[in-house]
Amino acid sequence: MASLFSRLGDLFERAVANLKVLDQALNGLEGSYVELLTVLALGLLAVIPVIVPERHRQRYRLANQLFGIAIFIFVIYTCLGVFGMIRNFHRGLSEIGRENIVALYYCSVPATILVTSMIFGPTFCGWICPTGALQELIGRIFGRWHRGRKRCGHPFSWKLLAMALAVTAIFLGWMAYLSATRVFFVEDASIYWSEVLVILLLVLVWRMGAWDARLRRLRVLSFAIIVAAAIASLRITSPVHFGFNKVYDPASVLATVMVALAALVVPHVWCRYLCPWREAIAWAAKHSARRLATDPAKCTHCGKCADVCGVDAVADGKVDPRECHMCLKCVDNCPTKAIALKEDWKPMP
Amino acid sequence: MYSVSSVVCLISVVAVGAEATDWPSFRNGPANAAACRWSPTTPDEAVREWSFRGRPGTRYRPGVTAWASPALTVVAGRPMAFIGGFDQTMHALDLLSKEERWAKITGGPIAESPAVGLVDGEAVVFWGSADRHVYACYADSRGAGDGRKLWSPRELIPATSTMSEAQLSAPLLHRGTLYISCFAYDRAMGRSEQQGWLVALDMQTGRELWRRAAAPGMLSSPTGAEVDGRFTVFLAARRGLLQAFDVSGSAPRPLWHYQMPHEVLGSPAIDADPASPRVFLGSKFGNLIALDARTGKELWKRMAGNWIDNSACVGEVNGVRAVFAGSHDYNLWAFRASDGQVLWKRPLGGEVYSAPAYFRGGEGRGAGDGKEEDDGGEDSDSASPPAPRPSPQSLLAVAALDNHLYVLEADTGRVVTSYFTGKPMWDKVAKGEVLWGSPAALEAGSETALVHGSFNGEVYVMPLDGECGLRTKVQSAATLWWGLAVTAALFVGVVLPAVLWGTRARSPQRARRGAEDASSKVRR
Repeated sequence: MASLFSRLGDLFERAVANLKVLDQALNGLEGSYVELLTVLALGLLAVIPVIVPERHRQRYRLANQLFGIAIFIFVIYTCLGVFGMIRNFHRGLSEIGRENIVALYYCSVPATILVTSMIFGPTFCGWICPTGALQELIGRIFGRWHRGRKRCGHPFSWKLLAMALAVTAIFLGWMAYLSATRVFFVEDASIYWSEVLVILLLVLVWRMGAWDARLRRLRVLSFAIIVAAAIASLRITSPVHFGFNKVYDPASVLATVMVALAALVVPHVWCRYLCPWREAIAWAAKHSARRLATDPAKCTHCGKCADVCGVDAVADGKVDPRECHMCLKCVDNCPTKAIALKEDWKPMP
Repeated sequence: MYSVSSVVCLISVVAVGAEATDWPSFRNGPANAAACRWSPTTPDEAVREWSFRGRPGTRYRPGVTAWASPALTVVAGRPMAFIGGFDQTMHALDLLSKEERWAKITGGPIAESPAVGLVDGEAVVFWGSADRHVYACYADSRGAGDGRKLWSPRELIPATSTMSEAQLSAPLLHRGTLYISCFAYDRAMGRSEQQGWLVALDMQTGRELWRRAAAPGMLSSPTGAEVDGRFTVFLAARRGLLQAFDVSGSAPRPLWHYQMPHEVLGSPAIDADPASPRVFLGSKFGNLIALDARTGKELWKRMAGNWIDNSACVGEVNGVRAVFAGSHDYNLWAFRASDGQVLWKRPLGGEVYSAPAYFRGGEGRGAGDGKEEDDGGEDSDSASPPAPRPSPQSLLAVAALDNHLYVLEADTGRVVTSYFTGKPMWDKVAKGEVLWGSPAALEAGSETALVHGSFNGEVYVMPLDGECGLRTKVQSAATLWWGLAVTAALFVGVVLPAVLWGTRARSPQRARRGAEDASSKVRR
């Protein structure tokens, strides 16, 4: 009996000692405020897309997106939204050599995104990004209708125009309310992105079929503006920025709601036309080891892959790597498995 | 009725108007105006923008504050700021030469403002530290790197091995006596010490004159005022008990007490009108309560939309005595002191966490010459050009959790200017656990400046009228809409045509594929 108690006590001690794993993760690194948990959580999010099984992959992806939203809001405080990440990356780079732990902290999110994109492809967009997840979840409401429109080449629709006008009215009304009741700063520039988004919606209602590809060039401009602002130390807030900040940020709340509403009118409209990170990730993933490849012999041109793609990255069984979010819906929906995930690990010379 | 109040106000303003060599309580007097008068002797003397950083930061824990509120005085003709904080050090900053004159390290964080009083004609800085001691150093300690001591640090609470850090308030100085409250929680079951004390020390020697158990738990900084010829100390306990003590005699005599409806973090503000002295105190219930300073009888109470967790201050709005309080509902409120009527409320960009500073400044340069734009709030007409301001005029300074410090007109609540004072140095901070430092004003006509210990670890000195890189551009409603219109015009007129220019899409193969795909689906 004594030995049993002794063994139980031993087991209990070991279990308690394991709590140290969590405890240590919640402690600041080298006395700083940088918590290991932030980096660990980020790493976990990035690894999941690679390790999940093919069976029920889309369910895992949804779970990862929801987990990502929670992790980003409650753990990864340095994210600060799509614009803030670029600003913080610049800050982190400038801290290297002075405050290396702080530099690690601020560089960890963008470095993880870029490095995982370089290796595994743009999985951040399809599996983790909270802004993308928000649009995808909202877009499910009219998903079937949008798929029908896509098949017909995005023709003009009065219903779509009414929706775009409703979004415009909400933007203007909200702006009128905020300008009368809140103090705004020049730095609250996310309202201008919201405005551009609203104008884009109106343009897309008329000419989405013809101008879709060319309008995606706007991402380059968006990226250039944000990088220039970061180098000039301008604080420009972005959609979902408020979720990572301690203070109420009315401009960011407005921009987030606008992105969500706009995704009802045009699926993934932010990712397609304005997200600066999308451009950087596409560049980083250009030579990634994991990529989608189509076997023309197997392709029956059924169009299911293009049908399920939320960002119109697939056409005639072929995947455009610059637009692909690596959500793998096309792979999972291909009846002949013509589209497959290829891993091109080159051996060391 | 107003004439008496106006005279009292004038007296108080004039009292502040003389060049100040002392700062007798945490916000410089019962009205909590937090302003100090200074007259430059030569035209070259000007307070320029400056930021000072103390020792490196510490890990965040609830209750820690970056900087306490500063005390400003004029020492040997030079404006100086005394400020302590989490770096456990009291810093004496020369605002003219932009240098630290001396620094005194203590054994614990300094959470509250110091007080400056005259001892034998010489200014002495008094402060309490979490190491349970009260310190006294000469304000003019040139040549002594860590301050010239008036007396050795006086221990207020005997140490035990189970005692937590002590909470010592800002001192209150009056006629040679220093009043200070203290609290330290001893978690040992045998002692279970949870009592908060009000202690009186002799300013000259540091000898303890008396101590009185005030209330269990943490206590606010004491505020004092002459009420019917008796010097009365007002003290609020964190758990909401507001007490008044007559300290005219050799021992304190309780006068009255009042139980607030919720937790109180701030200290009372006093309108020392001889005809009807009033005490004002806000709580985390969100209400501001006015009491008769003589009897403790409730005069009025008003609700804000959220916590009022810092102290109020008393000033004037268009010749009417007013009390100003910031709230976590994003507003700075101005109430009429006599009956609590709302004179104005000004929405700002974030929760107003600081106590307001009430001062006179901005003699027609910068702030009033149209450089800053109207913020388009509910009490102003954004369409009209900025009206010429009388000079000098009454202003308020408050800090908000949107990381900005605002300067507003006391009469209307119009935002005159604002400064970006940085984000908290910690990524996660709890609201309502601690009073962050509040701004103080150096009144010097056109050289008026604000001093604020920000929660980003910097102490900022910000000229009101002169050049200041921290100044932010608050957008008026008109500017905001013009900005949106210009952005729309640029986007539609320049960006869109540039993006759509040319017949070739970025990826011609892709466009062709898309077209074929669309046509094949149409056929199907």
